[in-house]
This record gives sequence, structure tokens and C-alpha cells, in this order.
Amino acid sequence: MELKIFQKGFNFSQDGPGNRLVYHLFGCNMHCPWCSNPEGMGCGGEYYTASPEQITEEALSCKAMFFENGGVTFTGGECTLQAEPLAETLKRLLDNNISTAIETNGTYKSFFKLIPLLDYIIMDFKHPDSDKHRKITGISNQIIKENIMLASNSGKELLIRIPLINGFNTDEKTIEEFLEFFQTVNKDNTRIELLKYHEYGKDKWKKCGLEYTVKDGFVSEEIRINFENKIKDIGHKTVRT
Amino acid sequence: MYNNLYNSQSVTESAKKLFKEERAKKRVDGWFLAREIVCDRQQEFEGLSKEMRAAKELEAIITHLPLSISDNAVFAGSQSDAFARSYALINPAFEVETFSGYCDPTAVYNDIEPNEEFTRERIDRVREYTKNTEYIRSLTAMYDKYEKYTEEVAFFIEQVTGHIIPDFRPALKYGIKPILEELEIKSNTETDETKKENFKALKTALNCAVILSGRYADIAAEKAENAAGEKKKQYLNLEKTLRKVPLYPCESLFEAIQSYMLLWEIMCLEQAPNPFAFSVGNADRIFEPYREKDNLSREDAAALLKHFLVFFNVGDRSWAISQNLIISGKDTAGSDLTNETSYALLDAYFDMNLPQPILSVKLHKSTPEKLYEELGRFFFSPGVLTPSLFNDDSVFAVLKNRGVETCDLADYSVAGCQEPLIMGRDNGNTTNSWLNMPKILELCLNGGKSMITGKTIEKSETKDNISLLRNIREIFYQACGHYTDIMCDAANAASAAVSELPVPFLSVFMGGVQTGYDMRDISHQGTKYNGSGCLIHGLSVLADSFIAIDRLLSERPQDADNLISALQNNFEGYEELHAFLKSCPKFGNNIASVDSEAAEIAAKVSDIVTSHKNYLGNPFRADWSSPTTHLTYGYWVAATPDGRKAREQLNYGVDPLYGDAASGMGFRMLSNMKLPFDKMDGGYASHLGIDPKYFTADTFEGKGADFAKRIIKPLFFNPELKDRVSPFYLYVNVTTPDTLRKVLAEPEKYAPSGVYIMRIHGTFVNFLDLSPAIQQDIIKRLDPGSTQM
Repeated sequence: MELKIFQKGFNFSQDGPGNRLVYHLFGCNMHCPWCSNPEGMGCGGEYYTASPEQITEEALSCKAMFFENGGVTFTGGECTLQAEPLAETLKRLLDNNISTAIETNGTYKSFFKLIPLLDYIIMDFKHPDSDKHRKITGISNQIIKENIMLASNSGKELLIRIPLINGFNTDEKTIEEFLEFFQTVNKDNTRIELLKYHEYGKDKWKKCGLEYTVKDGFVSEEIRINFENKIKDIGHKTVRT
Repeated sequence: MYNNLYNSQSVTESAKKLFKEERAKKRVDGWFLAREIVCDRQQEFEGLSKEMRAAKELEAIITHLPLSISDNAVFAGSQSDAFARSYALINPAFEVETFSGYCDPTAVYNDIEPNEEFTRERIDRVREYTKNTEYIRSLTAMYDKYEKYTEEVAFFIEQVTGHIIPDFRPALKYGIKPILEELEIKSNTETDETKKENFKALKTALNCAVILSGRYADIAAEKAENAAGEKKKQYLNLEKTLRKVPLYPCESLFEAIQSYMLLWEIMCLEQAPNPFAFSVGNADRIFEPYREKDNLSREDAAALLKHFLVFFNVGDRSWAISQNLIISGKDTAGSDLTNETSYALLDAYFDMNLPQPILSVKLHKSTPEKLYEELGRFFFSPGVLTPSLFNDDSVFAVLKNRGVETCDLADYSVAGCQEPLIMGRDNGNTTNSWLNMPKILELCLNGGKSMITGKTIEKSETKDNISLLRNIREIFYQACGHYTDIMCDAANAASAAVSELPVPFLSVFMGGVQTGYDMRDISHQGTKYNGSGCLIHGLSVLADSFIAIDRLLSERPQDADNLISALQNNFEGYEELHAFLKSCPKFGNNIASVDSEAAEIAAKVSDIVTSHKNYLGNPFRADWSSPTTHLTYGYWVAATPDGRKAREQLNYGVDPLYGDAASGMGFRMLSNMKLPFDKMDGGYASHLGIDPKYFTADTFEGKGADFAKRIIKPLFFNPELKDRVSPFYLYVNVTTPDTLRKVLAEPEKYAPSGVYIMRIHGTFVNFLDLSPAIQQDIIKRLDPGSTQM
């Protein structure tokens, strides 16, 4: 039982609280055209393997860098595709008093099993309309919505992240649909972050031999601020990490 | 401000003009005049004791050296007459390939360009005189004796001048009058003839301060006569100040700065042309009582201090390099000592952005957040100087372990780059010896023969390759001990040579008034603390090499026999083996095996060094720094088993070799934290390149606070290290390789003032003044792999 990892490194405050050791797990069940880590999608990229014991040992050796309530975050690719070794690793980390977090696209059917093993949850939510979501990512958003509801009612800290992509999810109608869904989400432990489109991963697509198809994804600051304000108006907290 | 004679704006403007005036000086000839004055008066000094002769020579220099006061100066005094245009780092003629250290003290005479006034004959006459002094004779004999070791730098030796932190505080507080009186009494009542003579010499030397202030007072008076209005009043005030200090107590910040500058000027002239790396010490604590007496605002104090900072810049490239000024820190009870003068000094530094003197900041667990916030502007303004950072909590522990008494701990300061010394009480001979571990490894692997030149340095027992590799650690440590024995003999011989040049003036401020001995005396200890430094090179190259040898033996035993041939051939024809060696674990990535190896090497070699005694029987001090010598010494080291190629640079200080810490800064810091800092009692060097994009706060204050949170506190005050001594030194360059390449390509655009300050080992320098090899080294060590956060 081993985890497939294609990248690791420290990150401060963007992938959970404090300074965190972030493991990017290999493989993804979506193929978002703006993805900044296409090498993690599973298309012939390189990875190495590590057992839950090895990850825990490494995390323990890094404890001195977990300042400001930091710890370990698993992201991807999509980390829940490796749910079994991931759960085992999370358990071990918790046993060693190391803060745990994942960043997930929310598609894992048995997500409820992971929630007790997490101190902090980051969930991406790309589009409120199921068809449009499926068209771009290849998967319906139904299960994602259910998992967001589960997480928001779990009492755990939840950060919902929306990548703002021009031509995909920033028109007024879509924003209204986002808000409609957020009305149903527990507001107590939830924060919402809007991430403006960037092209940091564009070159990596070429390196992976893949075509980068997003033509004009950039979003103005004005759109982000307006959207943030609307989220605040319905009683949710927004955040920028 | 100050008797209503000045305002902060005009004082600032004149400081900027004064700096510009200094940087326009293409010639720095004062040091030659000083030496010529001594040369011309040899007959006057015949028959005097060594100490008195030094005092009389200084008296002659102070009496006859031409002096002036610039129209832009607020204070009198200059250290420009004490330095030559010779320091390698900023010498455009410097090349890694040809640099051979500072072993010829008469080489400085090549740095003075003959002209009508300074003719070749005139220069040669003083050079010849200098060559025939006992100092040069004994130094040359030492270098000749140990040449086979120093030629390819198995080790190197340096005669240490400068590198001291004098304690001028009593002179400022009480004036030098009571010290002169004490010396007079002691020279009359002392029964030991040597001490008696020394007290007389110290008094003669100290009296030079009275001569110098008198001469400057006369110049100020003359300038007053020829001036009108405000300017006249200012000159009269300057004259009055100079008639008062340093003889009498200082009663204002103006007087304290003036007094300090004159004492400093004489101290440097006493060692011209090599007074490098003297340090001011805890400057904010020195000057705060006088600012407080005046009730001067932060702004007004900063304006006066700007002139103080300009004073340290010599000539067109700020040649007086490595003079360190330190602020903040704590006392032994743990109370923070940051004061208003600390902040005034920061303001002065930021506004002036001068290449010298170097700024250092002492930090501790209770450093006020405000200080971190105020430092933000330094770290995050491109081309602006950045301070070195020291961790008082650890330095106190290290120094205590070295035998420093608790009452002296807060008075530690930094001489030169990063060497901690006690102000006024410690002669550390900090750059006395330099040990090149990778060269020793090369000699171990090649029967004592250099793989670079084929010369035999030291014959050693030959073994078959495999047993040599299997026992490499034992063989290396044994050889390291052997070379260290020889190195320390050589280093002590260099100190004996330096003792031919007593420094009675400096000795006054280093404990000589109490002990009766010169601080350079090799038979009697003139200072409370004494030691000799050893700069140890190549930690990560050695650790990576040991681990690579292990891996080779266990994973590819069939290739092990080829390793030495591969090294001898710089891996040509052994490309696959080279790739394997490069792929072995490297220090700086939080990998247990290689990090432990580095820690073990650091502990063992520190112990080897500190078990050696200097000329007074005091231990050598283990200093893990490599001030550009990672380049120059690397040039003499053949290919190493870690995959580093021949003549390439070694790792810097205790850092990983550039490019090897590819997993980012977090892992790099974790590896660093495992080193035994308690053993590094002579100091160490470490640098982090930091990409500013990771700091996104809107203000400098916010960025400064984040910098503390994300870099300084995890490294210096990490609770996970528990009882272990945490890292205690760091300097950073917050920029990217791309930015620096742009600065070099278009300096007019990116550095319109002509000054773009970067850090290079313990000092900062104008990046544009550096020789190309060193510019490229700075760029290399910002490799993106190690700067990811």
C-alpha cells in the first residue's frame, strides 16, 4: 500500500493553515483545461512511491517547519483516487499530532470516510451547472455538491475554491447559480476563495505533449471583487490565500 | 537641531554630497604617505623598544599626515588615509584563477599608480624599506616554509590585522584624560620593566588623539575665519567640539560621534594599509546615551548618523570593506536592548544606502515586532542593503561554552563578516588559518599527490582502491588532524610575525591599560580573551562525497575500483559513473543519511580544530565560513566523489553546494538545523536566496513581519529544536537571478545611482563594483530550486 507522488514541497498558508508540507499525488479523474499541474493527470508523467510509514517518518522529520499551525496537505492530481493509502497515512499523521489537510475536487464517493481524518479540507468547486461541469471536466458535479454539504456540516474547517475562468464560469447567470448553491452550505466553518485564472502551468502542458486549449481565460479584478461581495452579502466569509 | 546650528534636511543633503565627493576619489594615497612618514624618520626611532617605536611611528604619522575638512563635512575625520585600493572582492583585476591570497604585504605597493607626485622611485623606496622590516622577514620565512601546503591550498594562513572590536565607550563617557592619567601613574609606579615601557608607549599612542583633534580644530578655526553666516557658526562649533573631545567627556550625540571618529581614524592609521574589518560593535548602545542627553528626535539623530556612515566609505569603491556595525539584541537577563538610536540608524542606512559599513542586527526570542516590521523595507527594496542577522539566544550559549563570562555576553559583537568577538576584550585572530577539507580528501584518495598538478604534497601510505574507499572516513580524519597540526604551526608563526608590529593605540581600548601588554604580544596575554580562527571549507562537498562513496560500494561495487581514475580524469570517459555520483543523496534536502554525515563532520572537524592551541595556549576557533574562498579554494580542488568537477567552486559556508538543494527552502532549512552550531564557536556562514514573489503583503512592514514569521523565527527560534543550539547567523539576498542579469545588462536603468547593493558573504557590496566572477557566484547561489518556498 503505497502513495504515488509526483511532487512535494513546502507551502505557506495557501494549502491549509501555516507552513505545510504538500504532497502532490499522481493521477486525476478530471481533465480541466486550465490545470496548472498537468503532469499529475496520469498521462505518462513520472512519480515515485512512498508508504504511509515513510510519509509519516518524513513528516516527523519536518516538524520544525510546521510553524503557524502547519502540517501536511495532500493535493494532486486528485489525492482521493488513492483513498486507501491516503487514509492510512492521514491516520498515522494524526496519531503523531501532525495537522492534516487535503485539497480535493470532491468526487470521491466515500468522502465521508476521510472527513474524520482531516483537520482542514479544501474543496474545489468549478461550476454549479452539472452539464457544463461535465462538459469541461468530464464529471458531473452532483457528487461534489453532496460532498461539500457533508464537509460543511462536519464541523471541520472548510475552504471552497472556485477557479474563475473567463468564458466558463464568470457570467452573471453562473454566478447567481453559485450563490444559490452556497445559500444551502453551512456558513459556520466555511470560507470561500475565488482564484483568478493564471497560466503558470501552460508550459508544462507542452512538456507533457498536450495541447493547451484555454484561449482567453483571464478575469478582471472587478469581476472577482463583485463576486466576492455577493458571497459576503449572503453571509459567507471569503478569503484570499 | 544641536545648538540651533543645523537642521536634519541640510545635514542629510551634506552627507549625500560628502559621499559623492568620496566616491569621486580615484586615488587613495594617504596610506602611502603614512608609511613614507615612518620610513623617513627611521633614525629617530632607533634604540626604542618595539612598543615605544610603534607609538612614536604613530605619533609621527598623526603629526605630519596632511589633513583637511571637506566643505560638505559636519564632522572632522577620515579613515581614507588608512586604506589601499587592494581588496580582492571589489578589485576589478581579481580573478579566481590567479588569486593567491594576501601573503605578500608589500604587494599593496603595486596598487598605487605612479604619477608625477608619487613617482616610481618614491614608491620603490618605501617598498624596499618595508621589505627589510622584521615583520616582512619573518612572514616571508613562514610562507616559504609552508608553501607546498598553501600553494594548492590544503590550508592557507593569513597574518591577521584589523578584525577587532575596540571599546571606545569609556573614552566617550569619561574622555581620554583619565586614561592618560592612569597610564602616567602606571608608567611611574610599575616595577616590571616591560610593562612600564608598555604603559609609556600606550600613553604616547593615546596622546595622538589629542594631537589629531588639535590639528583638526586648527583647520576648523581657519575655515571659520574664511566663512560667513551659518557656516561660520558651524565651523566655530566644530572647533569648539574638537578642542573638547576626545580629551573630555562627550555630552551630546554630536560630540560622541566626533570623538568616536577621531579614535577610529587613529586606530586605522596605526594599521595602515591593512586595517580591514574593524567593527564598531553595538552602535545603538554606544550612541543612545548621548542622543538621550540631547533629547534628539529620531530624525535628527538619523541625520547626524548619516555622516557617521559616510565616514566608513573610502574612495571610489568604498575600499574599507567589512567594517561591521550592529544594532539591537538583548542583555543577559533577556531584556531587549533596541532603542531609539537603533531605529535612527536604520533610517540613516535606508536613506543613504551606502556600500559600507555593513549592518548587522541581533535578534532574540523577544525581539519587538516593530523591529521586524522596520526591517521589511531593507529586504524588499531592490538594490537596497540588507542586514546580516544574528541569534543572540544561540550566540550567548556558544560563547558561554567558549568560556566567555556572563557579564561579557551582551557585549559580543561581530568583527568582519560574522565572527563573534567581545567588544574591547577579545583578540580572536579571526582569519588566521583556512582549512580546505575537499583538498585533503583529494590528497587522501591520491596518495598525498595533487590531482591538479601532480605534485606530491605529503606522501601517504598507499592502499588498494577498495580498502581506501571502505576506510575513507578514518583515513580522512587522520589526515585532517595531521594537516591541522601543520596549519596551526604556520598560523602561530604568522601571529608571531604580526607581533613585530605592536599596536599600542588599539591596545588601550583592548585591555592594555589593565594588563600592561600589547594585544598582539605572543608571550603575554594583553586581552581578556584570546584565540585564533580557522575557517573550515567544504562541509557539504565532503559529506556528499562520503555518502556517494558508500552508495558506490554498496550499489555498484564493480565500479568502485574506477572512482579514483574517474576523479583523476575529471570524469572524462566516466560519464555514466559521474551521473550515478550526481544522483546520490545530497545535503540540503532533509535526507537523514547525508544530513547526519554533515553534522558528524562538522562536529569532528570542529573538535580537531579547537583541540589545537595558538601562541598563547588558547584554542583555535572553528569558523565554518568561506568568504569567497569557496571559489578560490575550489579552483585548486580536483573532481570530488560527490560528482563535483575539478576546479569548480566548493559549497559556501555550511550551505549545500549550489544546485544541490533542489527540494526548496523548507527542506534546506531542515538540513541546516541539524548541524552542531554549538561547536562553531568561531562563527559560520549561511546564505538564503529568497524570491520576493512569495511575500505578498501590501506594505514593507507587513512583508517584514512575514519575513520574520516564515524565515527568521522557524530558523532561529524553533521550539522543535528543544535543547539544541539553534542556527545563529543568516544573510539573505531577496531577488532572482533574472533580476540581477537585468541589472548587469542595463545598470543605468536598474541602478541609476550607480549603487545596487547585494550581499556577498558577511559583507554587502555594490553589486556593480564586483569582479565578474563574484557577480556570477551571487547569481548562481540564487538557484531557483533552493529558493522555492
